Amino acid sequence: MRLEKCYFCSSTVYPGHGIQFVRNDCKVFNFCRSKCHKAFKKKRNPRKTRWTKAFRKAAGKELAVDPAFEFEKRRNEPVKYNRELWQTTVKAMKRIEEIRIKRQNQFILNRLKKGKELRKQSDVTEVEKNIHLIQAPTAKSRKLEKKMVQVIQEEDVDMAEEDL
Amino acid sequence: MGRYARKKQHKGDKPLKEKYRTKRKTKDLDQIHEDMKPKNAEKLLDQNVDFDKPGAAQYYCLHCAIKALSIEPYTQEEADRAAGIGSYVAPKKVKVETQPDKGETDMQQDT
Repeated sequence: MRLEKCYFCSSTVYPGHGIQFVRNDCKVFNFCRSKCHKAFKKKRNPRKTRWTKAFRKAAGKELAVDPAFEFEKRRNEPVKYNRELWQTTVKAMKRIEEIRIKRQNQFILNRLKKGKELRKQSDVTEVEKNIHLIQAPTAKSRKLEKKMVQVIQEEDVDMAEEDL
Repeated sequence: MGRYARKKQHKGDKPLKEKYRTKRKTKDLDQIHEDMKPKNAEKLLDQNVDFDKPGAAQYYCLHCAIKALSIEPYTQEEADRAAGIGSYVAPKKVKVETQPDKGETDMQQDT
């Protein structure tokens, strides 16, 4: 039993699901559901359809190039049963899956970091631009003036006292 | 007055369905790419006169959607790669030129 991948969305097509289309040049297309089949009939391009895996990888939304992807392969050679080999293979599969998921999640986190940076930057520029809404541009200098006047007056008073 | 069966409930939805019927299927982009290969293109463009075919098979149009054809066609392999069987490989650009107009000289001779 082989689990094929959907031609359109790249999801796994399980037995009893989806539909298979054989074109008049013998090429086989598997579809996981009618949504994908319909999209194919309408000649939609999976690379440009935003909900497909192909789009997400082509657009850099998901981790696309990684050695972790090189393990899963279509191997057309039957292997003689060997308990030890079987066990180690299953163990390796689990470990590889773990690493793959970790890397994929990390990739998305790294991708989103850029947005955080940009948002912070835009916040700073917004404050700088609109600071006049909460503080008049001359407010600071006026205050300073008042202070200066006060200091001068105090000095005058001191001088007057000394004269006396 | 008796009851009448309601008929023709799906009368209106024909055009779209008909358009996407398998019997109305037009060539996919990857098939056109296959036709565009020099070996196949020669055969298609240089066909014998056959009056059963449109234009006696003398005016075969290889490609119309040049913009859509300018990138490598999507394949099942790419779908597999997207699903995690192998790393992503960026599709290559394909140079598509307008088909040379071979019919012009013949037409002039005819008239």
